[in-house]
Amino acid sequence: MLDAFITLFQIDNLLFLFLGTALGIVVGAIPGLTASMLIALTLPLTFHMDSVNAITLLIGQYVGGISGGLITAILLRMPGTPASIVTTFDGYPMAQKGQPERALALGIMASVVGGIISWIFLAGMSPTLARFALQFGPWEYFALVMMALVMLASLTQGSLVKGLMAAALGMAFALPGIDNSIGRARLTFDMDALLSGFGLLPVLIGAFAISQILRESAAPIKASAPINLPKKNLPVQFKDLKTFGPNMLRSSVIGTWIGLLPGIGANIAALVSYTTTRQLSRSPEKFGTGHEPGVVAGETANNASIGGALIPLITMGIPGSVTEAILIGALTIHSLQPGPLLFQNAPEVAYGIIAAYLVANIIMLFLMWNAVRYIAAISQVPRAWLLSTILVFCVVGSYAVNNNFTDVWVMVAFGVIGLGLELARVPLGPFVIGFVLSPIAEEQLRGSLMMSDGNVAEILARPYAMSFLFVALLTLLWPLIMGQLARRRHNTHQEPST
Amino acid sequence: MRLHPAWVDLALVLAVLAGAGLLFVGASTLPPPRFEPMGSAALPRILGGVLVFFAMIIAIKAIVQLRYKQSSRHGSDETDGAADGSSVVNPAKDRDTDESALTGQLRGICVFTCLILYIVALDILQWPFIPVTAAFVTLVGTVLSPQRLQAMWKFALFGLLLAAGLFLVMTRFLYVDLG
Repeated sequence: MLDAFITLFQIDNLLFLFLGTALGIVVGAIPGLTASMLIALTLPLTFHMDSVNAITLLIGQYVGGISGGLITAILLRMPGTPASIVTTFDGYPMAQKGQPERALALGIMASVVGGIISWIFLAGMSPTLARFALQFGPWEYFALVMMALVMLASLTQGSLVKGLMAAALGMAFALPGIDNSIGRARLTFDMDALLSGFGLLPVLIGAFAISQILRESAAPIKASAPINLPKKNLPVQFKDLKTFGPNMLRSSVIGTWIGLLPGIGANIAALVSYTTTRQLSRSPEKFGTGHEPGVVAGETANNASIGGALIPLITMGIPGSVTEAILIGALTIHSLQPGPLLFQNAPEVAYGIIAAYLVANIIMLFLMWNAVRYIAAISQVPRAWLLSTILVFCVVGSYAVNNNFTDVWVMVAFGVIGLGLELARVPLGPFVIGFVLSPIAEEQLRGSLMMSDGNVAEILARPYAMSFLFVALLTLLWPLIMGQLARRRHNTHQEPST
Repeated sequence: MRLHPAWVDLALVLAVLAGAGLLFVGASTLPPPRFEPMGSAALPRILGGVLVFFAMIIAIKAIVQLRYKQSSRHGSDETDGAADGSSVVNPAKDRDTDESALTGQLRGICVFTCLILYIVALDILQWPFIPVTAAFVTLVGTVLSPQRLQAMWKFALFGLLLAAGLFLVMTRFLYVDLG
């Protein structure tokens, strides 16, 4: 770990981390632009970089992207990212009462503390979990991937069936290309362009950036809302740490553990933490009217969820959200396989991610503390300038992958598919993660069947694999069980009255 | 006029069934397993089956919703539209909303058309990157800007600078040939 910090403090790594965090904060502060879009657009540029440089840049963007959302959530009641929705509940009323500086100060402090506490979990748990995951064979990996996919599809907001269908569709789009096991083209329909399959980057850029831009283009043109830029210094004192300490500790633990579970995400972490804090408060009626603990709870949890989500990513190669799926793509591009072997094969990257996460939080504190008013002003850049620039970056980025336009057309096609799926209220998260995880799931299943001579019953003798499948089944059945329980409770309440 | 979500679901079902059909057709051309038990065609077939299963569930739900909507319309003309959560209260307001939605959709289509033309110009016509990009930024910026023509020259200038900057970075530093 110490080596990772020493490597990170080399000037180039530190510069990339600084640049990534700054970019992430700005993009996170702009409503409509997300950290996943920024990371997807930056990926093509990382081809030519050293893997540690690339990963520090992307981690910085991830941390900055989630944290930056609080600025416009507090000043404009427009959360820059979904993770900051909860911050609008109390942050904006505080700004309206003439305390924007105090709300921003508390939000920034809470974000950093959430990040640091979840870093302790990340640094403490990851190496141990990775060592534990070394015991896994192909059956365990296949079951783990299935569990992650099912959890992600089920826990994503919206219809369960559509979530599962999105995951299956994503998996189907990963099938065309050369099947490495037999060295023969599969589902290419005699098209040479499909021989190498659909590239991860064009798919990501299309599904997230292009579909988002097309949706934004169709939204009504509005003049920018007037913004009250903070005028005074951000007021926060050491005693605030003491006052909000228990709240921040609790929210960090909630955020980290929710981040660990695939598919739930930073916005739900913030919401659960906010609700818990309100329930435990002696004055719950003050929440939603500009109450300081509300800002602290949401911002602590959403940042802490990043550390939690990085744990399954680096220890088992399982993405908890779209952003982590893109980070897996980044590692794959640099010929690195995320999972337990990452700590053995590329410790500088595995520990580099952990170290970069901590330092990115500190850089975020420095940047937000000193430049929040300028970042708030940048977030007012008109949409026309932003969208036209991002479109050019999308085209150039997709082209730069292989220096050919096939990838650009694939990007456009997936932009249209992404837009269509969103119109039909099919979540994009499971779709992209299905696309990323499909090759791993197939490889592991084929490997396990080869090892067991085609005997599927072999999985019954694997306790970890069975536990993963049991959790997946429970996640699927949970809504039905809860529905039945609610119905029974409703009937019991009605019976005495009749 | 807004399309009922059930119709969107039915369109989705058709697209998914077409995709599942492609999976089955593609899988039928693959050889049976020889060196390993599972074979290359298994996953496409499994996914095809899973997609058909989910599509059927969504189709049944959508048809039930449409039938419910129809029966509620027959039941009461006054509460028409309330079944799907959209009650008709103010026709003039609805018309305004529809018109602005239409303008928005037109803007989205314009941006998409510009994007396709931009890629055609670069890929098929092989026009040079800097002027084509500058023209693209000007067009998209003008379409999306509320000031329209007054802002056009600003977008042209910005597009030119952006294209030149990108060209320099991509060709000199990242060795990407932008043409």
